[in-house]
Amino acid sequence: MDNVNVLIVEDTPAESDALIKVLEVNNYNIVGVATSFKAALDLFYNNKIDIVVIDIFLNGFPEGISFAETINGSPNASKPFVFLTSSTDRKIFERAKLTQPFSYLMKPFNELEILYALEMAVEKFYAQPDVFLGEEEDTVISNEYLFIKKGKSLKKVLIADIIYIEVEEKYCNIITENEKFVILISLTKMLKLLDATIFFRTHRNYIVNSIKIIEIVPGDNLIMLSGNHKVTLSENYKDFLKKLPTLK
Amino acid sequence: MAKFKLRFVLITLFFCTVVFSQEHYKEDLFHAEIMKKAEAFKSNTFFYKAASFFIEKEWNSTLVNSMKLLDTSKENITLTDYAHYFRGYSFKQKKMFKEAQNEFELISKAFEFYYLVTARLGQIALEQNRFEEAIPYFQALKELSEEDSFYFEKSATLNNLGLCYLHLGDFKKAAPYLSESVELKEQQKDTLEIINAYINVANLYYEQYQDDLAIPYFEKAYQLSKKIKDFNVKRRSTLNMAVVEENRKDFVKSLAYRKEYEKWKDSLNDQNKIWEVAKLEKEFAVKEKQKEVGLLQAENKAKIIERNGLLYSAVVLLFLLGISIYFYKEKAKVNKIIVAQKEDLDALNATKDKLFSVVSHDLRSSVNALKSSNTKLLGHLEAKNLEQLDSLLHTNSGIVNGAYNLLDNLLHWALLQTKQSYFEIASLRLFFIVEQTAYNYKPLMQEKNIQFDNSVLKSEVVFADQESLKIVLRNLLDNAIKFSKPNGSIKIYTRSTTDAFCDLVIEDSGLGMSEITRLELLKETGMLSKKEHEDVIGTGLGLQLCKSMIKINKGEFSIESELEKGAKMIVSLPKTT
Repeated sequence: MDNVNVLIVEDTPAESDALIKVLEVNNYNIVGVATSFKAALDLFYNNKIDIVVIDIFLNGFPEGISFAETINGSPNASKPFVFLTSSTDRKIFERAKLTQPFSYLMKPFNELEILYALEMAVEKFYAQPDVFLGEEEDTVISNEYLFIKKGKSLKKVLIADIIYIEVEEKYCNIITENEKFVILISLTKMLKLLDATIFFRTHRNYIVNSIKIIEIVPGDNLIMLSGNHKVTLSENYKDFLKKLPTLK
Repeated sequence: MAKFKLRFVLITLFFCTVVFSQEHYKEDLFHAEIMKKAEAFKSNTFFYKAASFFIEKEWNSTLVNSMKLLDTSKENITLTDYAHYFRGYSFKQKKMFKEAQNEFELISKAFEFYYLVTARLGQIALEQNRFEEAIPYFQALKELSEEDSFYFEKSATLNNLGLCYLHLGDFKKAAPYLSESVELKEQQKDTLEIINAYINVANLYYEQYQDDLAIPYFEKAYQLSKKIKDFNVKRRSTLNMAVVEENRKDFVKSLAYRKEYEKWKDSLNDQNKIWEVAKLEKEFAVKEKQKEVGLLQAENKAKIIERNGLLYSAVVLLFLLGISIYFYKEKAKVNKIIVAQKEDLDALNATKDKLFSVVSHDLRSSVNALKSSNTKLLGHLEAKNLEQLDSLLHTNSGIVNGAYNLLDNLLHWALLQTKQSYFEIASLRLFFIVEQTAYNYKPLMQEKNIQFDNSVLKSEVVFADQESLKIVLRNLLDNAIKFSKPNGSIKIYTRSTTDAFCDLVIEDSGLGMSEITRLELLKETGMLSKKEHEDVIGTGLGLQLCKSMIKINKGEFSIESELEKGAKMIVSLPKTT
């Protein structure tokens, strides 16, 4: 599991320092701190960013909103973001609110509030509400990553690294090259959100990353995966073999 | 000769009455017939008018309208015949016999009442003493059957014929007509007509010096005349008798008749005079009455004008009164509202002033405490007394926290009053809001060793604005900590009383409050300056802010508490369904 990359757009060093401290304690990776609109754009396009924290007022102007509007407007590049503000000015908020999905945090804030705001931003952005706040689930699935809530903080796993997923009731065992962990998510949601051309169900309890398949042994009903993992192939799900591009 | 002359005079006296009195029996019938015709031709206004005026005997109007009728409808022979008849008759009545004759002669033979035309022509000739011309007309009429001559008296024709011959001195021809006329008259039993007929016959014989035959008729006439009231007839019959007696040389009787004649003449004159006087008197009286009526009318008019004037002025006054009452009431209402508002504003202003003084007092003491603390800090720093330094800094941070909360409330209060703050009601998970808010108070609670328990379910979702709900929770938690004794406990939990609302309860085991304080706190504008616990005075601003915030979140606020038994602050918020 990797730390989530955060970009901070904030012009007051005292504020950004406090923010960095809190986020680092909670295992977030701070990619950088931008103090202007331009610097923010530079950092945003030259780094792998997962979440942006934006102060609405940069140097006295609501440039934060402009920045949010800009990244929202660029296709495939937009990321979840949280507005930071000490202003309760109605007009500014009405404008900020237009940058959907809208998530904000009022200064001064405490540790819990910023963490909560980041989680909210991820949920809203990937349109999977009530994941981190509810009790049934703890994972948001994007195209690239699984965002998993671990304790107070958020972690991410590259979906391409997953070898296979083993389902156990409402839990899922995620097996990657390097590690093995449990997440809380329903199988149906998993199947719905994962790329169906790569991930296939081979058994009632198994979802396999087809790229990681090394060998299929139909006689033994086994699928050999990289890293010496073996998965059962059930009769009911043999149809997937036809869809595998390499076997056609 | 003298006798003859006298007799002749007597006879000529008769004509008009004789001719016209024969008419009126059948006149009404004829008028009815004309009326029918007028109804039938109602579309022709001139005919209708001419006929109406004809019946009403308005001869001039009849002439005018019949003239117009002649001008407009020359084609319709029936109508022109009527028009000529109306005109002829009108001229005849106005004694313009020449014109009348001309009009009658213009009537075509096809006219349904042509025999009437003949009769009129005969009458005209008779009137003008052209007896020989008259005779053929009357002869023609005499030949008509009873039905054809429905609208006039046959006896009249006979009488007229007789009269014509009488005047021409042809007594032999006159005699049968007159006697037949008498017979017919006798059948009709019209005394006046009979008397006239008798006199005619008597004259007939008298002229021929057949006195024996004439005298009984005169006497009969005289006797009959006694039964009627007409002085004129009485006078004439008496005069005839006087002349007869005079001619018989019986002067005594003649004188008696003369005297009677004089009497009747006088009576007639008297009657005429009386009539005249009566007429004059009547006219006078009528004039007087007219005057009186005029006067009364004028008076009435004046009265009506006066009354109307009074009425109008009354209405106008009433209207004005109504308007003034309306405006007065409106003004009173407005004044009342203004007074109420003024009282409200005064109260609010007083509260605000009080708030100002309390807030500034609080801040002043806080800052003052910091000031003195800073001097102490400097002293301890010089003396390197680190332990004291630490405890002082903790105290300072407490003071600063209190002051900060106060200022924060003040800011939110101001924003709320001016409606400047951002406000968005969304569904919120209560658990996290409570957690986040309580996070800031953890050190404070640890310091006082207060047990904190947030047992709100993660599934509890309400509709509220996040920031304002946080403000409410901060204040309630702050209060709970403030009023808790060391080693106390604070619990936050939810309870559902209704389907629509979720009650968030902040329960502490602190000092609690009396019922009076409780009610005071729940009041609309209750600002507390003095409470039971002198050492923990607040401004009341926090709770006031809470109430306002809950209100704009469409929630409700209530308190359950007893002195020394802790308090439950209850925030009811609408559930998300």
